[in-house]
Amino acid sequence: MLRPERMRRLLIVAPKSETDTIVRELYRHNVYHIEDFVPESGSSDGLSIGHPLSGASDAASALIKIRAIESACGIDPENVEVRTRIPASKVRAMIQTDLPAIIEEVEGLVASRSRLEAQQKEHEQRAKELEPFVAVPMDLDLYRGYTRFSVFTGHIAHDVTIDAPHEKYFSDKVDGNMIVVVVPNEHREEVERTLLDAGFQAIPVPDETGAPADRLKAHQEEARRIEGEIAAINGKIAGIRERHADFLVACDELLTADVERAEAPLRFATTEETFLTEGWIPERNFEKVKEALVRATGGKIYLEELEIEHTDAVPVKYDNPSFARPSQMFMDLYSRPQYAELDPTLMVAIVFPIFFGMILGDVGYGLILLALSLGLLKFFKAGDGRLLLISLRNASIVSIIFGLLYSEFIGYSLPWAPIIYSRHLNIGGHAAEHGAQVAELLVVSIWIGILHITLGRILGIINARNLYHGKHATKAILSNAGWLGVMWGIILMIWSMYAIPLMPDLSWLPAVVMGFNPAFIIGAVLLVGGIIGIAQENVLEVIEIPTIISHVLSYARLAAVGLSSVAIAMVVNYIAIDLMISPQLENLSAVGVVIIIVGILVFLLGHVLNTALGILGGGLNSIRLHYVEFFTKFYKGGGKRYNPFGMESKFTEE
Amino acid sequence: MVDVGTTLEMVQASQVGLKAVGAGLAVGLAGVGTGLGEMGIGAAAVGATAENRDMFGLALLFTVIPETIVIFGLVVALLLLF
Repeated sequence: MLRPERMRRLLIVAPKSETDTIVRELYRHNVYHIEDFVPESGSSDGLSIGHPLSGASDAASALIKIRAIESACGIDPENVEVRTRIPASKVRAMIQTDLPAIIEEVEGLVASRSRLEAQQKEHEQRAKELEPFVAVPMDLDLYRGYTRFSVFTGHIAHDVTIDAPHEKYFSDKVDGNMIVVVVPNEHREEVERTLLDAGFQAIPVPDETGAPADRLKAHQEEARRIEGEIAAINGKIAGIRERHADFLVACDELLTADVERAEAPLRFATTEETFLTEGWIPERNFEKVKEALVRATGGKIYLEELEIEHTDAVPVKYDNPSFARPSQMFMDLYSRPQYAELDPTLMVAIVFPIFFGMILGDVGYGLILLALSLGLLKFFKAGDGRLLLISLRNASIVSIIFGLLYSEFIGYSLPWAPIIYSRHLNIGGHAAEHGAQVAELLVVSIWIGILHITLGRILGIINARNLYHGKHATKAILSNAGWLGVMWGIILMIWSMYAIPLMPDLSWLPAVVMGFNPAFIIGAVLLVGGIIGIAQENVLEVIEIPTIISHVLSYARLAAVGLSSVAIAMVVNYIAIDLMISPQLENLSAVGVVIIIVGILVFLLGHVLNTALGILGGGLNSIRLHYVEFFTKFYKGGGKRYNPFGMESKFTEE
Repeated sequence: MVDVGTTLEMVQASQVGLKAVGAGLAVGLAGVGTGLGEMGIGAAAVGATAENRDMFGLALLFTVIPETIVIFGLVVALLLLF
């Protein structure tokens, strides 16, 4: 919590004969993050990259075949539901006995399907070529075989008169018209010119015999018949998917593991007789893995824990309670924390839904979003989409709670007065007892901003202690304290001059020096001290001081964006219900019914739009307050992702 | 300044109206400002993200920085109206 999981660095040295055992053991534990060996050019330590284990290429080629079959059958291992876990030994046996038959069957089916598809295309193409000739009542044999005559067939813009002796047939029954002209060879060129002037486009005569209409029908029937056959083959493939999906995904998983294991030595350093590898193991698994390695190799292994140096890029594994895990997605989107710094995931997991709820704060919209996220969660079984939906679900639950407090239901008030500050605007004369308490809401959001940023700066001080050393750390701590001093100095000075609702009023204090009261003087001292604190780290930072004010005021969006969404909801209700539906309901008429239907449409459309805006406004603004206003105070990021060697087996078991 | 036909009610009504106009201008002009600011940043951010997917977080951060301007506009408008 608040820190990434503690890691320990392990060096493994063993004879090459033990490679297989060790790789297998590491893979099974699925906790060892391999530090890839990079040979240094020109170094004389005699280390080189290892070779893959035997069987790597066999497993790889089998895997390619299985993946091809999976894609032919439309199986996606990500989306296959786990029904039974097949023992690995059984899968291996079945790879020898059953798999070749399945491969052969699927390959045969796919091959005949593509052959049939080619045939179907061919027939369809023929039918398309024949179409224009159907308009001409003449057998196809009669178009060719002349020595003294030339035949022109093609599309033409309009009918033409030809001066030379000829026979002609024109039809405008087909797209682009159809013309057939037969002329003696000696007039060929002049007729061609006349035709081209009229926009003639030659089309070849299909290489067939008989009446075009019959042939067309024959081809179409053939294409239909083949389509039926393809459907039958697709049915057979679907049957294979039904019967063998479990086995195929199990093979995929097993062989993927085989390939990954076989290729692991490519990441190791080797000498003639030994290999060595360095990597990271989470502290809680460290001793267990060490013991397991010694036991598996019968002691033919040398293990050493290496010191973690300050410059090491330690892989970062989150260590958060389960409710905060979906928020890790927000962290990865920004940047994974470094090993040495604080991991703010937990704070994001708590504060993000609260901000979202404050902005949206409506029981109706909250319920819609809750139903939406729960519905979509059924389709997202894994991945970032699922994490995002879980975050949305949590945020919408908080929205419902805030909706109860604000007493809001899609822009209407619930049967009780708002428990916290009211957001009921005076739109369409529906003013609640005292209308919206905008000033109070704004001040509360500013308070949240002040506290959130103060927390950020305190975390900044802690991070500076963790990340830096010596003089650098002192400077960074002083600078963070300086920023805090400037912020609170400005706040004290404002309090000492003006009375602000919901904030301490210090303006009544008696003036002591030059007409200023003690609070102002303390504030001024803090301000000056703070500026010195900032400048001692980096003088240029001083020009950033106005961001203190803009960042604090930026939290006003918590109230402002929320109020604008309330306003949209109330305006939609006013237009749809008060202006369109209610007046018509009082004295119903035929036109009135139409207006009521339009009113219902306006109501639905308006609220759908406002729900979408609610997700964007609530989600983006809340996460932005974290990314821009909160994280910039303390967060560095840029940590390396922890990627253990191994796999969670879903479909097989050892 | 005051026309002969102007009554007290009319003056009060036009004051309220001008307040609303001012609030509208505050949000509208601030929105234009934000849009102009985000225009260049957004284009560059999309380009950077297309080159390197890891840039997304930082790119989003840069893009939403001018967002604050329109929030200030909204706050000023709300303060004018209430």
